Amino acid sequence: MTLIKTSTALPQSEDSLFDFIQKAAVIGTWEVDLKSNILTWSEETKNIHEVSSDYIPNVETSLSYYKEGYSRDTITKLFTDSIEKHESFDTELQIITAKGNEKWVRSIGQPIFENGECVKVQGLFQDIDEKTKNSKKLAFKEEQLRRTFDHAVVGMAILDLKGNWLKINKSLCDTLGYSREELMETPFVDITYPEDKKIGYKGVNDMVNGTINHFETEIRYISKKGDIVWTLVSSTLVKNDKGEPQHFVVQINDLTDIKKSSSKVEQLLETTENQNKRLLNFAHIVSHNLRSHYGNLDMLLDIMKMDMPETTKNEIFPLIKEAVNHLGETVENLNEVAAINVKNDIELEPINLLDIFNKAFKSISAQIIESKTKICMDIDADIYVKGIPAYLDSIILNFLTNAIKYKKADEPAKIEVYAFAKKNKIVLQIKDHGLGIDLEKHGNKLFGMYKTFHKHKDSRGLGLFITKNQIEAVGGQIEVESEVNVGTTFNLIFIRHEKN
Amino acid sequence: MKKIDIACIVDDDPIFIFGAKRIMQLADFCNSFMIFKDGKEAIDNLKPIVLSGQNIPEVILLDINMPIMDGWQFLDEFTKIETKQKQKILIYIVSSSIDPADKNRVKNYQNVSNFVVKPINIETLKRISEEVLDDLEQ
Repeated sequence: MTLIKTSTALPQSEDSLFDFIQKAAVIGTWEVDLKSNILTWSEETKNIHEVSSDYIPNVETSLSYYKEGYSRDTITKLFTDSIEKHESFDTELQIITAKGNEKWVRSIGQPIFENGECVKVQGLFQDIDEKTKNSKKLAFKEEQLRRTFDHAVVGMAILDLKGNWLKINKSLCDTLGYSREELMETPFVDITYPEDKKIGYKGVNDMVNGTINHFETEIRYISKKGDIVWTLVSSTLVKNDKGEPQHFVVQINDLTDIKKSSSKVEQLLETTENQNKRLLNFAHIVSHNLRSHYGNLDMLLDIMKMDMPETTKNEIFPLIKEAVNHLGETVENLNEVAAINVKNDIELEPINLLDIFNKAFKSISAQIIESKTKICMDIDADIYVKGIPAYLDSIILNFLTNAIKYKKADEPAKIEVYAFAKKNKIVLQIKDHGLGIDLEKHGNKLFGMYKTFHKHKDSRGLGLFITKNQIEAVGGQIEVESEVNVGTTFNLIFIRHEKN
Repeated sequence: MKKIDIACIVDDDPIFIFGAKRIMQLADFCNSFMIFKDGKEAIDNLKPIVLSGQNIPEVILLDINMPIMDGWQFLDEFTKIETKQKQKILIYIVSSSIDPADKNRVKNYQNVSNFVVKPINIETLKRISEEVLDDLEQ
């Protein structure tokens, strides 16, 4: 009895152990009886398929759990082959469970023969989804890294602790002009620019000693052709889980083009500075040498007038005097222009636009009254622009006197002045109803030096040139619209001064 | 009316010297002149005069741009002369330069009265004369 008990108890416990193993290992079993064409699935096989324990599978439906395409085709072929060719199989495929989940499974099949005929196919069925996905993920990551390394725009390399190349990428080979094979055989010290050989030592030592993890430095290398290659080297030490240094990962950024273009920029800057110096020098020559000759001429003429008044009473003397005066004016104008161009960092100060206008009107009030000029002005008292007072005075005065000078012959001048804000700018509009300028004809030289467009006794052709220079010197712009016999509108755009 | 006794011109430009002398005569600016063609010549000659205290010019018209020793160097040397006499010498910079930097530089020199831009004329000289005489009376 005891034996029986034991014998009945034993299979039970064998069963449960078997179940336990199946469950723990996520391995199920299956068996196809080819005579009866009955398929049996163990509990765990059913679990993997996500069907209930009373589910009864059959051969056809069981194959249809495999994912359509590669997985289903493969299992169908393997299963058929195992029966017909007596081949066992062990494969990893994907199934779609009853609940619609996609899973990786390992399916093992073994045909069983009786008298050389296949009677059964039995096998194991294992859920390997997590493992497969993880390894696939890892493989993907490795591939990603490999591709990043191989195709990175920057040169990359892995070196062992002795400084031998372990791995190099294409970009690095391209930067240095070597083939992969050549470079692998060339120690990096050999291609380092002699003076730079010691640069990396300290960084490497500090990393090995553990005081730093990473360092960056500029190092020059020598390409196969013998050219200097400027690089920014960024180096990291990789350690294993015990903290022991394993190898260096190095990024080598080619800076040669940047270095080249920055030296070009430096050259340009130097040229410009030299030109500026020459301009200053020129301004100085204008200011001093030309002026001193003019001064002497002027003085001599004065003396002549006082000393020998009889020699000045002719047609020529006044003309000489006039020519000398013009020379003086020209020199002064040239100097004014040079002074504007030479001034560099000018301190701009807030200037009240209305004040400037009132001041200008005051200084030419006689001219306004005499010429019966009508002025219509609308400027808010709280408009401030950034500028230099002397420039603003001269700019405004120049436009007002121009407007009076170039009025229509048969009617008094009429000037309209408006100011309005536009973003961080102030637009000052000065509109005359005078002669106008043919912009088609003169537009491109309107602000040129010594250009006049009207035959007027006081036309010097310098006003607009200086004015434009002065406006630009305070960060402004000038725009013009004009029509012959209708009038001219100048828009002067200044930087607005914001009150705190 | 009082008149400046000795006026000194330091300038390398013979035309200016000729003209300035003539205008001074016409303006009845002074009794006599002292003319030096550069800063070095001026300092070498003026130093003993100032130290002796005799025939000291009341006014010096000083050019800036000159060979050998320019106006600024002259001023630096001139201020170093130590005199017991307290006779004042007014110095006017007379230059063709209209460079504001030069005008500003004048402010660094206490003994420079003013900056006169060439050309000079009778009016300028009369103004200088008045200033010099006013100063002498004080």
